[in-house]
Amino acid sequence: MTHRMTLLILQLAVILIMTRFFGWFASKKLRQPEVLGEMAAGMLIGPFLLGAVPIGLLEGPLFPLQAGEIPVSPELYGIAVLGSIVLLFISGLETDVKTFLKFSGKGSAVGLGGVILPLIIGSAAAVVLLPGVSSMTHPAALFLGVISTATSIGITARILSEKRSISSPEGVTVLSAAVLDDVLSIVLLAVAAGLAGAAGTADWGEIAAIAAKAFGFWIICSALGIILAPKITRGMKRFESLTMTASVSLGISLLLAGLAELSGLAMIIGAYITGLSFSQTDVGQEIHERMRGLHNFLVPVFFCVMGMMVDFTALAGIWQFGLIFAVLAMIGKFVGSAVPALLVGFNMRGAVRIGSGMLPRGEVTLIIASVGLASGAIGNDLFAVAIMTMLLASVAAPPLLMASLSGGKPGYTREIGREQADSVSIELSFPSERTAEFLLQEVLKAFRTEGFFVQQADHHSGLFTLRKEETAVSVHREGMTVAVHTRRDQEPFVRLLMVEELLKLKDFLTGLGAMKSPDMMGADLVMGMFALEQAGKESASRKQQTDKESEDDGNDQPSGEQNNSDSSG
Amino acid sequence: MKLNKVLNQDVIALDLDGETKQEVIEQLLDTLVRTGKVSNRETALQDLLEREKKMSTGIQHGVAIPHAKTKAVKGLAACIGIHREGVDFDALDGEPSRIFVMTLSPVDRTGPHVQFLAEISMVLKSQQIRDQIVSSTDADAVLRLFGVQKERS
Repeated sequence: MTHRMTLLILQLAVILIMTRFFGWFASKKLRQPEVLGEMAAGMLIGPFLLGAVPIGLLEGPLFPLQAGEIPVSPELYGIAVLGSIVLLFISGLETDVKTFLKFSGKGSAVGLGGVILPLIIGSAAAVVLLPGVSSMTHPAALFLGVISTATSIGITARILSEKRSISSPEGVTVLSAAVLDDVLSIVLLAVAAGLAGAAGTADWGEIAAIAAKAFGFWIICSALGIILAPKITRGMKRFESLTMTASVSLGISLLLAGLAELSGLAMIIGAYITGLSFSQTDVGQEIHERMRGLHNFLVPVFFCVMGMMVDFTALAGIWQFGLIFAVLAMIGKFVGSAVPALLVGFNMRGAVRIGSGMLPRGEVTLIIASVGLASGAIGNDLFAVAIMTMLLASVAAPPLLMASLSGGKPGYTREIGREQADSVSIELSFPSERTAEFLLQEVLKAFRTEGFFVQQADHHSGLFTLRKEETAVSVHREGMTVAVHTRRDQEPFVRLLMVEELLKLKDFLTGLGAMKSPDMMGADLVMGMFALEQAGKESASRKQQTDKESEDDGNDQPSGEQNNSDSSG
Repeated sequence: MKLNKVLNQDVIALDLDGETKQEVIEQLLDTLVRTGKVSNRETALQDLLEREKKMSTGIQHGVAIPHAKTKAVKGLAACIGIHREGVDFDALDGEPSRIFVMTLSPVDRTGPHVQFLAEISMVLKSQQIRDQIVSSTDADAVLRLFGVQKERS
């Protein structure tokens, strides 16, 4: 028992340190998402590579290979599962429900197409290419189908903003469609997980029953959540502690995750719904802020453990299938999103942009794969295929999207163009990065006060996407410049809002100017430093006090400098 | 945001005649005070003048949008005023101001306050509408020009 706990603590130590360095390397040196680095760390130090090397002190390897579906110890896997729940709780918190309920018809057409076609292609590929899988309702086929459906919007949002296209019709459509994709793939996962319990191939009646249960759970819990969450947060206000509110909401998300699992669905559906419900309350942002720290420690553990679960020997026999599957899944996603885009009024260029914008995959794909592995629906080999699919899509999508965006020609027909094509960028330059950052934060706060939902597009660049119903704004800081990008009809609003924030900044500076001269404060501080050397520690504070007073009386800065050089000489 | 939730005949001041910036602001504020939406006239006035001190809200083409965040209101309050002769409002283009849109928004409430101000200001973008407003003789006509449907009472 003691040995197992010691091992767990040592494992976590290595995981935390390694994921940070690998994540840093991936994002800063390779310009790839941090997740990829964290997973690579897991593959390297996991039980299938370095982790298997015996260490004398431990009387065995650090990551001994476990028998059964999951190659790491149950306690480590438990912590990874907790990481996945936190991740989905936060994703829920970051979801803009207003957009989700009211997203444009274009977004939902693209989102639906981007789920249905990959689902069919993914399952069909399994039936055609995998021996032993004879029907699309076979658990393995279902999981491979669901794995093909998820989209990860972080990468796309960053590129769209770099290319100043986030508020273009293509950008808004992709952002809306991704919300729908997340919800649908999580519900589909619940269905697949429910079916995996049943041995062998499920019949359509069973699928319908479990789908009804998943959607029922979804709808009832969401409705209850959206009604109850504001009541809970209001009730919690009497304790005057936002940390307490945040803890209680996390507790509720764990509770709902457990209930979802007990009713035969996947845990993450409960976590996601709880996040979604609290995102609608006035303290949603505060809860999010407080979850950030937990996220930074637990989520890398999840990604790292996912990397550890990749069995390279299992991949040896199946990599050809993996490659074909990964490409098919990409084609399914691309065509499934691009064709509806064409139908709702985009031209070929716009459809290609939307198709490639929907390609990247990330955490949801991983979670789906891990649930499949844990439930026995897919083995180590297909898990490795899922990881391949995710890696390929994440690496291949950015260049495709960049290429499709270059040229800058409009990607929509005139009809949409009139509606929302025109976009403008307003830029302000400041004398230092700090002033720019200060104004950026104030501007974000002001948008929140106007009822906008602010979301950081990815956790490392200074890019924020702001949404309110149909209005999308992006704000980002590059060095000493703050740029706001929006549709032309929103320009007067954005200008007015920024003027008010600039005036506040001016106020702040005037306030600083009225403060006792910073030079003098500095002199006080420096003189206190030497006072410490001259006198003993006890009289130091008294000495500083008198220095300060005498200088205040004289109000004479040069004498302070004189004093300074005397004592050093 | 629906304009007719905030705008009605009671908040249209057709004949402002203040001779200074402060007088005009006070007249506009009094219009709002009469609707009962302002709990403390002095606080609201201080906040409005404080905002003017930082930068004049007289924008261009005779339009001014005096506004402030203040504890004296619980929800967004707005009024429209017309000054036929025009008054020096320290406008950015130096022209005398004739059309005024005043908004007061609560300090700690979330809502589309700046958005409302922007929306209403955009109505005044066209020279033709500005001319029509300045020559309007009744509140209904002004409301119609701002796109507010006539209330059925």
